[in-house]
Amino acid sequence: MGILELHGLTKTFGGLTAVGDVNFNVEKDSISGLIGPNGAGKTTIFNLITGVYKVTSGKIIFDGKDITNKEPYLIAESGITRTFQNIRLFKKLTVYENVLTACHYNANYSIFDSVLRLPKFRKQEKKLTEQAAELIEIMGLESRKDLIANNLPYGLQRRLEIARALALMPKLLLLDEPAAGMNPDETEQLMKLISEIRKRFNLTILIIEHHMDLIMGICENIMVLNFGCKLAEGTPTDVQNDKSVIEAYLGVE
Amino acid sequence: MTQFFQQLINGISIGSVYALMAVGYSLVYSIMNFSNFAHGGVIMFGAYFGFFFLTLLRFPFPLAFLSAAICSAILALIIERVAYKPLRERKAPFLYFIISAMGASIFLENLVIAIPAIGPTFRTYPEIFNKQPIKIGELAMGKLDIAMFLISAICLIVLIYIIDHTKIGKAIQATSYNIKASALMGVNTDFILVTIFLMGGFLAGIAGVLFGMKYTVYPQIGIITNKSFIAAVFGGLGSLPGAVIGSVLLGIIETFTAGYFSSQYRDLIAFVLLITVLVVRPMGLMGKVTEDKA
Amino acid sequence: MGNEYILGIFTLAGINLMTVLGLSLLTGFTGLFSFGHAGFMAIGGYATALMTLNFHWPFIPSLMVGGLAAALVSAVLGKVTLKLKGDYFCIATLGFGEAVRLILDNVQTFGGARGWPGIPHYTNFWNVLGINIVAIIILANLIHSRHGRNMIAVREEELASQIVGINVFKYKMISLVISAAYAGIAGGMMGHYMTFLQPKMFSLVKSTELTIIVIFGGLGSISGSVLGALVLTSLPEILRAFSSWRLVFYGLAVIFIMISRPEGLMGGYELTPSSMKRLYRNIVSKRSKAVHSAGGDK
Repeated sequence: MGILELHGLTKTFGGLTAVGDVNFNVEKDSISGLIGPNGAGKTTIFNLITGVYKVTSGKIIFDGKDITNKEPYLIAESGITRTFQNIRLFKKLTVYENVLTACHYNANYSIFDSVLRLPKFRKQEKKLTEQAAELIEIMGLESRKDLIANNLPYGLQRRLEIARALALMPKLLLLDEPAAGMNPDETEQLMKLISEIRKRFNLTILIIEHHMDLIMGICENIMVLNFGCKLAEGTPTDVQNDKSVIEAYLGVE
Repeated sequence: MTQFFQQLINGISIGSVYALMAVGYSLVYSIMNFSNFAHGGVIMFGAYFGFFFLTLLRFPFPLAFLSAAICSAILALIIERVAYKPLRERKAPFLYFIISAMGASIFLENLVIAIPAIGPTFRTYPEIFNKQPIKIGELAMGKLDIAMFLISAICLIVLIYIIDHTKIGKAIQATSYNIKASALMGVNTDFILVTIFLMGGFLAGIAGVLFGMKYTVYPQIGIITNKSFIAAVFGGLGSLPGAVIGSVLLGIIETFTAGYFSSQYRDLIAFVLLITVLVVRPMGLMGKVTEDKA
Repeated sequence: MGNEYILGIFTLAGINLMTVLGLSLLTGFTGLFSFGHAGFMAIGGYATALMTLNFHWPFIPSLMVGGLAAALVSAVLGKVTLKLKGDYFCIATLGFGEAVRLILDNVQTFGGARGWPGIPHYTNFWNVLGINIVAIIILANLIHSRHGRNMIAVREEELASQIVGINVFKYKMISLVISAAYAGIAGGMMGHYMTFLQPKMFSLVKSTELTIIVIFGGLGSISGSVLGALVLTSLPEILRAFSSWRLVFYGLAVIFIMISRPEGLMGGYELTPSSMKRLYRNIVSKRSKAVHSAGGDK
């Protein structure tokens, strides 16, 4: 079975169904795509998986465990993390601090250890700073590591958000429109980067994106959503030739 | 049983004055999303305005009443222009508004104490309504209490009429729903803010005079006005009917506590109620529930 | 008189500073605002006095009990209110602070509203100094650890914090409990400095004053909090000659700070030996650059 399974996932706001009875499997180590017109419920699905919204009905299974309606930080701990469509960095902190903060999960010294600066604190803190520096290097942010996150160019802010997510050493990474606002060159670079980090970190990746080049270029499996419901699923070629998908995107002639 | 109804009447009478104060908090909260703690200072000034118009300038009562309300309205507007407008333009977080409001409240309270002609002394209003109560069967109702209730009720009805049935009222509602969208739709939000501060200040002035007549006037009245803020939270911050219902309930609860237990617990019960409401139902009795968006 | 008077002012400033340090962690580093910390001071003050007067404990252990009492109460308060959104938490702390004061008004064992006289004069400049130094070291070490970074993350962006696995509620709670413990110890020092306790010493105005000091010093700066406490405690004392007008100016100053320099004195920067060096180097390099460019003009 897949590393992530959505079973009959449904979310309603008041009377409005944002996501209706969606079933989907994400295979381990794959790159999968989630596409659909605006308002189709893509980001809502991310919010449900990461526990930001409460699920109305249905189940989310991750790595064989039921994570439905768990607290977001527990879901992060179990190995899922994400980026946001409208970037959410720790804006006033530096690039380095952003990544270092997210590394916290890989240390377990207590408040007591830190107040007394005990050996455990020193040892683990050293490990954290090394890890943060390494991540920044991999993501090509080294020359800007002391810049305030908010002052970074847009494209690099997206990169930093991915770096911060990787600091958790997740098993599953959800990317919400990582190429939004990027030019074709930057998008190309991003595609390479995504493939690279997947290999390097043994990641499974699920992407929401409107850039079809990117989606068709790197995804192995794609789900198409429309009005909160699954319209189609399959390989890029399958989806591109699916009649209902073409109708939804281009309208019927 | 007589005592019960007597307390009920007293509670409604005091609660109606709380309501006049509470709607001021709620009006500002509904649009600017912060608790305007300077409102207590405006109420206190209203009480002093009324007192000096009556004693120093020897205005007839209705004129003194109206002048006090108008002066308070202007004061409320000045506070908005000086202490909040620069923050608004900078899109400062809500806390800066609260601190600025606290600063204004410290300023107003101590200004009264510092001006030699006013000072910290307690002042008693001249008697407008004689002390002879009106008796209905066993129940005695002070003329002042009746006047307090009637004046408050009329003001609140007019206010709610304005909000519900006039163009400016509709604009206020729209702005409280979504200030950015309203501005885009052509509502002059700055004008709306001027209006709500004037309305809130006007009612604060009236409440101040009523309060001064019922008790005495002194610089720390603001501490009592904090209770009308609690009433606004109780009813649901930002909701006008909520503020009114919360106030009347608080008035009744207070008088019953004082009547059946001890007047010492009257203030305490208000704050205990505040925490209980926040824990059990933070949006208050009538407040709207909002869901965070990611 | 000179020395005594100045030491007295510094002692008062140090007592304020103790609460301000805790509040700095809560407000400056975790992003939560409280209008009820005078309530925690009151709890600590009365608990400490109870230990020294009724149980004849020595001063320092009694202070620890005072801090612990405030911390326990804050844990209960936090449990029920920390899930509230920003301004509602603020209002809840306000209600809490006032409720503590009004309850103490009615507890006759501690003298009720008339107050509790005859508390031994144990607090002096030196023990206040010592306690504050320890408090600053603890705070600085905490902030420069993963725990401190997590609190700052909560201040910056709650949702993103959760997504990177930070238990937001837990860190808000830790921050609140530590800040309440600091306030409790400060209350204990206050009672044993004034030699009496009275509920009205711990009013809403006191809580507001404390928050104003934190903001005045600069959110997210320990040295800012120290400076803020020194300046804002000593200034009113020095201005005492102007009696009632000083609070009028105080109120105006608060509004002025909010509208003109909201980042406070230090604005998130710290005054440490290394930052001083950096500042010095910057100034020097700017000057030499200026010299160079002036030279380059030819």
